[in-house]
Amino acid sequence: MTGGRGSHTLIRAGRLIDGLGGPPIERAAILIQDSTILAVGREQDVSAPEGAPVKNLDYSDKTVMPGMVDCHTHHNGFGDGRAGDDLATLPDEILVLKSARNARTSLLTGVTTFRENGPKNVTMLRLRDAIRDGREIGPRMVLCGRPVAIIGGHMDYMGSPATGPVAGRAMVRQLVKEGADYIKITATGGSTRTSFPMLPSFNVDELSAIVDEAHKFGKLTATHCSSTQGIINSLDAGVDMIIHCIFKDADGTDRFREDVAERIGNRGAFVNPTLHVPRSTIWALEHKKADTGLTPAEQSKLDDQSRQFESRMEDARRLTDMGLKLITGSDSSWGDYMLGNTMYETECLTMAGLSNMKGLQSVTGEAAKALGVDDEVGTLEPGKQADVIAMPGNPDEDLNALWNVTDVMLAGKLIDRGSTAPIAATRQHVPHSHG
Amino acid sequence: MASDGGFKLIKAARVIDGNGGPPIERGAVLIEGDKVKAVGSEENVTAPEGAHVEEHVYENQTVLPGLVDGHVHLIGIGDGRAGDELTTLPDEILTLQAARNARAHLYSGVTTVRDCGAKNQTTLMLRQAIEMGITVGPKLVLAGRPIAIIGGHLNYFGTTATGTVEGRAAVRQLVKEGVDFIKVTATGGSTRTSIASRPSFTMEEIRAIADEAHKFGIHVAAHCTNTEGIRNAVDGGVDTVIHGTHHEPDGSVVYDPELSEQMAKNDIFLNPTIHQARERIWQLEEMAKTRLLTEEEQASVDKYNSKWEEDVAYWARVRADGVTLIAGSDASWMWYKLGGTSFQDEILAHSDIGMTPMEAIVSGTRDSARSSWVEDEVGTLEAGKQADVLVVDGDPSQDVKALRNVVDVFQGGNVVDRSGVI
Repeated sequence: MTGGRGSHTLIRAGRLIDGLGGPPIERAAILIQDSTILAVGREQDVSAPEGAPVKNLDYSDKTVMPGMVDCHTHHNGFGDGRAGDDLATLPDEILVLKSARNARTSLLTGVTTFRENGPKNVTMLRLRDAIRDGREIGPRMVLCGRPVAIIGGHMDYMGSPATGPVAGRAMVRQLVKEGADYIKITATGGSTRTSFPMLPSFNVDELSAIVDEAHKFGKLTATHCSSTQGIINSLDAGVDMIIHCIFKDADGTDRFREDVAERIGNRGAFVNPTLHVPRSTIWALEHKKADTGLTPAEQSKLDDQSRQFESRMEDARRLTDMGLKLITGSDSSWGDYMLGNTMYETECLTMAGLSNMKGLQSVTGEAAKALGVDDEVGTLEPGKQADVIAMPGNPDEDLNALWNVTDVMLAGKLIDRGSTAPIAATRQHVPHSHG
Repeated sequence: MASDGGFKLIKAARVIDGNGGPPIERGAVLIEGDKVKAVGSEENVTAPEGAHVEEHVYENQTVLPGLVDGHVHLIGIGDGRAGDELTTLPDEILTLQAARNARAHLYSGVTTVRDCGAKNQTTLMLRQAIEMGITVGPKLVLAGRPIAIIGGHLNYFGTTATGTVEGRAAVRQLVKEGVDFIKVTATGGSTRTSIASRPSFTMEEIRAIADEAHKFGIHVAAHCTNTEGIRNAVDGGVDTVIHGTHHEPDGSVVYDPELSEQMAKNDIFLNPTIHQARERIWQLEEMAKTRLLTEEEQASVDKYNSKWEEDVAYWARVRADGVTLIAGSDASWMWYKLGGTSFQDEILAHSDIGMTPMEAIVSGTRDSARSSWVEDEVGTLEAGKQADVLVVDGDPSQDVKALRNVVDVFQGGNVVDRSGVI
């Protein structure tokens, strides 16, 4: 092996999961030069170049794996149940401060890359500027700038409504100019009060123009789809990721469409089913039920969300069985789901049929592929960025090990996580009724 | 910050209450909720019988009031860039910087700051975020934007006024936005389009601004880098003069004892920002250990050091003529960064110009609180005050440098997690 110049770090690990899906390597090592991985393998096969100064990190009692990649986040958000409509009324300065805090939470809990799906104005672009200037710490970011919506459509309050193919293209150009890494589009309504979740928003010619313009710049696209016609329109337009992927007819009837699912598979589009969002609301209501009891309206919301969650899980099992590419995108902090809890979405995917190892890939290697950043991150391989997390236990056997991340390395540098109490406090707990 | 309620009893080798008297040996501070309940010697301060008390024992440490930095610029970066450049950054970035500085300054033992000027609504937004629990910081006494003349010092932060009517309008607008005091730049300063050696507003304009501010029960602090500006500010009725050296338009210092006597008579505080320039000198002297300074750098070090005795004599005269000096760092302006031990360095500078250690401590606790019109709430350890408490190793009443050895910071009765990152 050639050493070269630069500072070397040698990580020794009791167990290594590389994010590629193979069995964990016991007694493994990673050699890092500056921010880049030089070698990964069994401890006896990996050593630093002779004579070079090496910083040794001993995780021989821990598992190391790639830093997590969360494919769907809302760093502006609070996750305290407030609607996006209300979130968007806050001043940009407040949203950027909240985002900074959320980004620290993400990083300190082991998420080293995230995709951002719906911030207001330039808040996340500015936060990234501050991180690049060394004024803040935070994970790598794959930013949309703002989601593109129809007038009154889902998240139009974030600042980027467009009408018609021409305005759609103009919006893509504007977002790319501002620094967007991909284009997020809301293809159906959603929780936004002025939108219609069971109906498509953009027409196919508009979606096609937006997607075409994005692809022209080498940018990926992802569409919010709360109902089936939006999925179909997205496929017609050549979208790269289907978010939520909820199979509902225009009248709200749950009806899984195997033909549509097959089209997703044939296109090779990634699916981000956001399963834990309804479960987070169920949990929030059950916590409240145990604490103070529920109003009849809240009880009926609990019943409804429970039905929704079951239906969504059932569909996710079908998609898994069909071999579609499901990845972890938490959708936090949205609804009642707070950042710092990405693991719950991965857990839902394993409940929908992924093995633990596949679940871990869905939040590392496969997630990086879904975001188009797999040349840099997502796996522990030579040439990749040294984004590494360490934890006691074995997440391949028990995903709960992900709660116990003790060390986070970003681009070869260990992050100072400060005192652990505030990090632990970001965890949302399972209600006792589910215990 | 909400307190977790109940009683806390802090016992320490000594307690300095911030009023300037001798330390209480083997002292104690009793806290109920977020307030100080009692202060005194250990045997005299006890919780009501039967009450649950959380004890914090600092066997070899000194307890004193949380520090009150009477002059900060939270949005500053402190890397030498001019305000003219700082102000070109977007508000989102400036707000993030303010949050970072606020956290760092709190962790350093400063539990109250008076912010003497920020761009647009950045510091007001930071306060809202602190109230929402998004981030942590000291108690903020905010000017929002300073009021400047067209082209005047800090006019780029967003509020200019011409004439007494616009001056009053500017005060009303700032009050509407929620500021706690009015900062006015009575002379030019580092702002490139301003003239530091000359006054900016007329006395009548300052008087209108001060009158309007006082009508709303808030105070006025004026940036003054020359004698005529100070005179306008003092005659105009401001409450704190900032910088405050008696410079003539040609740059010479001609001390005017009558001006000081007038300030003393009117109870106008002076925030001399002594360490602001020295911080850069210290940095250069540190650099000189590893590389040769440029001619320009060496010249600035030599000039500063050669003037030092003169400066000490100057401030001695100001104090002898009855003016109360209060400590306010002016960080993160120019090269002076908030956090670390930055405010401690300004307090040290007060001792270096002739205050006793205890007088220097008072200038950065009780008197900076008085100057900021928050002495009813903070600045001393007395029954009824906010339980903002600093614990340091050593005895700062003997050596004020001991203020740098921060062990714990209590804010509103709760220990601040000074290593928290989230």
